[in-house]
Amino acid sequence: MNWVRYTLPAAAILSAASPAYAVRYLSIEEAQKEAFPSATHFSEVQAGRVWKAEAGGKVVGFFVFDRVVGKHLFIDYAVALTPAGAVHKVEILEYRESYGGDIRSPSWLAQFVGKTAGSALKINGDIRNIAGATLSSTHVTEGVKRILAAYGNRLR
Amino acid sequence: MESAIGAAFDAVAQVHRLMSFHEPDSDVSRLNREAGTRPVSVHAWTFRVLETAVELHRCSGGCFDIAIAPALQAIGLLPPLKDKSAPILRSPDAIELLPEREVRFRSTDVAIDLGGIAKGFAVDRAVVVLRDLGIPRGMVNAGGDLRAFGAQTHTVHIRNPRHPSRSICRIEVTDEALASTARRVDLVDGGGSGSSAVIDPATQRPVSLIDGVTVRARSCMVADALTKVVMISGTDAGELLESYRADALLISTDGGVQITSDWHHAVHLAA
Repeated sequence: MNWVRYTLPAAAILSAASPAYAVRYLSIEEAQKEAFPSATHFSEVQAGRVWKAEAGGKVVGFFVFDRVVGKHLFIDYAVALTPAGAVHKVEILEYRESYGGDIRSPSWLAQFVGKTAGSALKINGDIRNIAGATLSSTHVTEGVKRILAAYGNRLR
Repeated sequence: MESAIGAAFDAVAQVHRLMSFHEPDSDVSRLNREAGTRPVSVHAWTFRVLETAVELHRCSGGCFDIAIAPALQAIGLLPPLKDKSAPILRSPDAIELLPEREVRFRSTDVAIDLGGIAKGFAVDRAVVVLRDLGIPRGMVNAGGDLRAFGAQTHTVHIRNPRHPSRSICRIEVTDEALASTARRVDLVDGGGSGSSAVIDPATQRPVSLIDGVTVRARSCMVADALTKVVMISGTDAGELLESYRADALLISTDGGVQITSDWHHAVHLAA
């Protein structure tokens, strides 16, 4: 059998711009402010990963940065926890996949609010799946569950 | 329609139960535990996949090798099995297929993994189920391995392995299977770039000369398995492709694309 060699059109190889679909929504600092608008100070508890949010010397919560694989690429997200260790807010910071970005939907993310280390956090159970973003929504759900298991009862 | 789709998913789940390296009760796990010491009886589906795998091993000069599991374990892509850290036995008859769907390994050192072929077979089973239930046309896509059936033509975009959000080409697919595999240079940031789950049996190391391969064949099982052979032997796989009436597209690390000569009409390179 013969092979025919093609040289790719330049546009397909070059165009060095960042991938068309990677969307950065929030920096860590922006996400921290959005999660805890009243906070006056964020101190790093664990380098690059966990911050304590304080307002006037009082702890208002914790901010945990994490990344999970979506279908192929990483999703950067953050979980803000209340001082008691329940989910205060989940935010998507950067999404790199070409589709599945629906997990940013506020109503989907709102499902996590109030969850604790004791919650089931099961896709198609207490967290609904998103058609077309099955893997992304499953992996973010597993990530939040892991964070709750790791930090939900430990910070404070 | 809903129930047909459910039945197709059931067939896929059944293939997983039979052929997963990770499920302790699968045929594959039973074989890895026991077939080195005595013949083990397996399900008809497992036997069929093994027949194809053994034939491909022979026809590819050993390139396609389901007994590569120990090498995958050595680089951490498969979990270690207890008391199997053995040297890899490279022999055409490491796996003996006996009458009555019985299988025996030549030694207790042999361990198999059907990860390079079973997913394609699962797609084929799903297509059989859908057809048997009277669905006239459709496509089963298991992510990387897909098969279209019926008269309709589907367009499939192939990702550029170096820039996965971009398409390198689109391929028209009619009543045939398409399987793709690639080194994913982007997957692990910071980690060793260019790692691959395709192992060259000759070197026991992941392949590195080709960025990605897409194979067209009648059955998805064959397309799936042939992607590994082309990843390893590149254009040398031409004769083997021909004998399976298959075609291939390969993307070299220099970005060049090579397509088997009678397939180029169905492949449209991205502008």
